[in-house]
Amino acid sequence: MTDQSLIIQFQNGDNKEFAFTQLLKRHQEHVFFQIKKMVLEHADADDIAQAVWIKVWNKLDGFKQESAFSTWLFRVAYNETLNFIAQKKRLTTQNSQRALDPILEHPATQNALKETEIQIKLERAITELPEKQRFVFMLRYYEDFDYEKIASITGTTVGGAKANYHQAVKKMTELLQQA
Amino acid sequence: MNDMENESISKNLEEALKCFESKTKQAPAGYFHQFELGLMQKIKAQEHAPKRAPIVALFLDHKQYLVAASLIFAIATGLLFFNKAEKNTTSLAKVEIIEIETLPDELIEAYVINNEFVAEVEWNTAIETEAVFISKQ
Repeated sequence: MTDQSLIIQFQNGDNKEFAFTQLLKRHQEHVFFQIKKMVLEHADADDIAQAVWIKVWNKLDGFKQESAFSTWLFRVAYNETLNFIAQKKRLTTQNSQRALDPILEHPATQNALKETEIQIKLERAITELPEKQRFVFMLRYYEDFDYEKIASITGTTVGGAKANYHQAVKKMTELLQQA
Repeated sequence: MNDMENESISKNLEEALKCFESKTKQAPAGYFHQFELGLMQKIKAQEHAPKRAPIVALFLDHKQYLVAASLIFAIATGLLFFNKAEKNTTSLAKVEIIEIETLPDELIEAYVINNEFVAEVEWNTAIETEAVFISKQ
């Protein structure tokens, strides 16, 4: 069954649960891993993914299928992820950030750091990207979405999406090259 | 090919991104199955939760009208209060005028006599000022 037929089945109230779980099984991994690349923590990604799918359940009746279901789904995921990150930023205090430093300075941590230095650099580079740029990059690089789809998901233009991607690549390259 | 069409990335970055993907594309065994079960339980609980009362729903659906009505009520109350306060002030002033008119003549004469000197000074000052003005012209 295609996404369209499952959506029609859901909207007709004809075994909604079956139609919804079929859509869930089909798309949940892609959405979850996209979210996880944004927030890195499994628990955070889990919270966001739950919020995304609950929203899908609540709003699917009004989905007019003017775009592909996956486009709409990733748009919901994009909005929920950015809201979560913004909320977490508001709640994170300076104290909690200072508490991390002693951990980083510990000798055991220092050894581990040498082995995965490039990974840590990349993660830092990724987290330093503005969220929109990060999301665009992930969709393009890992999901191989075209720019029209990415523009539709992130509410920008094709040119804007391209610019975001290239800025992201440039920043990550520069940060990786730093000592 | 302009810069934005060129999507090549450095080998270093490509290697790092591959490692990043393998690290982030991990989930505990059975996670997605559990996710589905947990999600459907939450959705069922949401569906069976008591619906909000229609009266409250009515107001929530017409929130903007409720806000507008509250604002109009607040402004109207303010205006009424202000007008009432102004009436009181005006009536106080009226009472004072009436009181002056009802003062006995003796009292008014006494006041004039006591303030005659001050009145004279003020009158002389006014005359001098006018004289200066006329001489300048």
